[in-house]
Amino acid sequence: MENTVVKIENLVKRYKELIALDHFSLEIKECEVFGLLGPNGSGKTTAINCLLSLLTFDKGSIEIFGQRMAPDNYGVKSQIGVIMQNVAVINELTVRENIDYFCGLYIRDKTLRQQYVKEAIEFVGLEDFVKFYPKKLSGGLLRRLNIACGIAHKPRLIILDEPTVAVDPQSRNKILDGITELNKQGATVIYTSHYMEEVEQICTRIAIIDRGKNIAIGTTDELKRMIHNTETITVETADLPDETIEKIRSLEHIYEAIYAENELIVKCSGGRHNLVKLLDVLTADDISFGRVYSERPTLNDVFLEITGRQLRDKE
Amino acid sequence: MLHELKYSFLSTVREKSAVFWLMLFPLLLSTMFYFAFSNLFASMNGFSQIPVAVVEVQKNEIFGKVMDTLSEGEDAMFKTTYTDGENAMKLLEEGEIDGIIYTDGTLSLKVKTNGLSQSIIESFLTQYNTQEAVIKETVQNNPQKLEAVIAAFSKEIDAVETKPLTNGTMDIFVGFFHALIGMVALMGSTLGFNVSANNQANLSQMGVRKAVSPTSKLKRVIGSMLSTFIIHCVCVAVTITYMLLVLRIDMGDKIPMIYLSGFIGALTGVSIGYFIGALPRISLNGKLGICIGFTLVTSFFSGLYVADIKGILSVYAPIVNEINPATLITDLFYCLMLYDDYTRYMQKFITLLIISVIFTLAGVLLTRRKKYASL
Repeated sequence: MENTVVKIENLVKRYKELIALDHFSLEIKECEVFGLLGPNGSGKTTAINCLLSLLTFDKGSIEIFGQRMAPDNYGVKSQIGVIMQNVAVINELTVRENIDYFCGLYIRDKTLRQQYVKEAIEFVGLEDFVKFYPKKLSGGLLRRLNIACGIAHKPRLIILDEPTVAVDPQSRNKILDGITELNKQGATVIYTSHYMEEVEQICTRIAIIDRGKNIAIGTTDELKRMIHNTETITVETADLPDETIEKIRSLEHIYEAIYAENELIVKCSGGRHNLVKLLDVLTADDISFGRVYSERPTLNDVFLEITGRQLRDKE
Repeated sequence: MLHELKYSFLSTVREKSAVFWLMLFPLLLSTMFYFAFSNLFASMNGFSQIPVAVVEVQKNEIFGKVMDTLSEGEDAMFKTTYTDGENAMKLLEEGEIDGIIYTDGTLSLKVKTNGLSQSIIESFLTQYNTQEAVIKETVQNNPQKLEAVIAAFSKEIDAVETKPLTNGTMDIFVGFFHALIGMVALMGSTLGFNVSANNQANLSQMGVRKAVSPTSKLKRVIGSMLSTFIIHCVCVAVTITYMLLVLRIDMGDKIPMIYLSGFIGALTGVSIGYFIGALPRISLNGKLGICIGFTLVTSFFSGLYVADIKGILSVYAPIVNEINPATLITDLFYCLMLYDDYTRYMQKFITLLIISVIFTLAGVLLTRRKKYASL
């Protein structure tokens, strides 16, 4: 049976009147890539800061590697690597020196540290920039340096708090591939983001957080199965009579059909060949149409159905 | 801790703004002081030669010898012109000379206006008349001692000479440089502030990153403070060395103690900065502003901008001088220059040490928290 790496029980954190975490519970197993997904202000970073013993909390308990987490539990801290949302490196030190400095806070042995620093540089692909100062690096490279500083000491638990915010697609892919690689090497990963695509891409299990509450937890498929919607079909058409819309609504497994702004959006719950049946209706009524596409539900649909709100504003 | 010390040292010495403000700025300011004040004080304190004309109505050989002696060398008292009465009057009218001495049996003086130079000439003539017999006897019996007699004689008539209470001497000019060293020492508060900010999770992302590491805050802070202190000592030492060797400011001969005074000042500056950095509920920029403001205000009260301010405070609010770190630092230099024993020096030194310890401990107490209500 897999060991529990992180166990959070009934965590309550208040900022005066605001409840940031409301009886928040979580259990993360070894070698998981665990995603914390939620809109901005949902409590993801607060949960991470409580987990790291940076923030006080009103109620609840936190265990990491089976030990109660505390600011002076240096044994546990030595096994954690943290990459925060904001880049935190020293501008007056070179890339190599930065990684060596932060690694040195965890690893005393100089020879071992040199090896770890070298491996971290290779891991994030900064070999050509070791003598560069952070100010000379692009945003993506800077993020990679930030990550190298957090993982050089080869932690067993890696916490990444929105590491891809404001990162170019190439660096984002590099970062996501790196996280998957670290996981393959045996690290447990906690990944917070409001980018559902990223979470869906790399996380083995996901907790959706809203207003400090853990509203759903499971694998991507498990989360998607929790909701009514199984397929959303979109059809572009210039003119659609009401009787045709009624015919569509009466089809089996279709529970919602909305026509607005020359676009028909049909939501299905289960069933097979829903798209074919829909197109049959349109053809029979001699309705001409343009683009047609079918989508599986996203985590945004999961969030939308559970909370009635969008996970994030469209970007 | 050595790891922290090494990288804290590297990052601080590479910080251009720190290097400028703590290393170059004091050199620029001291150079500026040097050129601004040296001219001013030369005109105030420099004993410039007094131009006089001697009209020998009747030949006075002994007086002539005395005048010649007093008109020779770098520190000559008079610039003497031997001429006739008419030309002498012309020179006096044109302001080329300050007085005319007539040797007509007795010595008489003619001046156009009253002033310090005229008073000195008059005083000289009075002294000469009184001492004439001694001088005559010396010329006749011990001519080789004439110079020594005239030197002693001229010293008596030096109306502006300072009579020190001790063996030490100093002037107001040097005081500005002492105050400047005090300011440089306290400017180290910005370095101490950085130590606080970079090690507290509620103040910076760097603080967060360090706080989640297994290296204790105490080790990190000690390492950073130590490197900061060393760097700041170097900055203060460079300033002092520049003043001593390049600007040739006379700060006395207790050179090692001069540097020690700068170093205790540096410790006080760094400690105060660490404390300010640890103050709660003030933004980082706000704290930096407090550091700079504190340095400027305390330096003002130590006499950096107005030399007399310390004296005024000693009358109306002596406690300010007793606790103002900038004043205490400048007082260390005064003590070294003015007193032979170290009693007063040690009093000031220990006071600065106590201030440093108090501020460091207060900073540690304020930052002892390891978890925060908010970040």
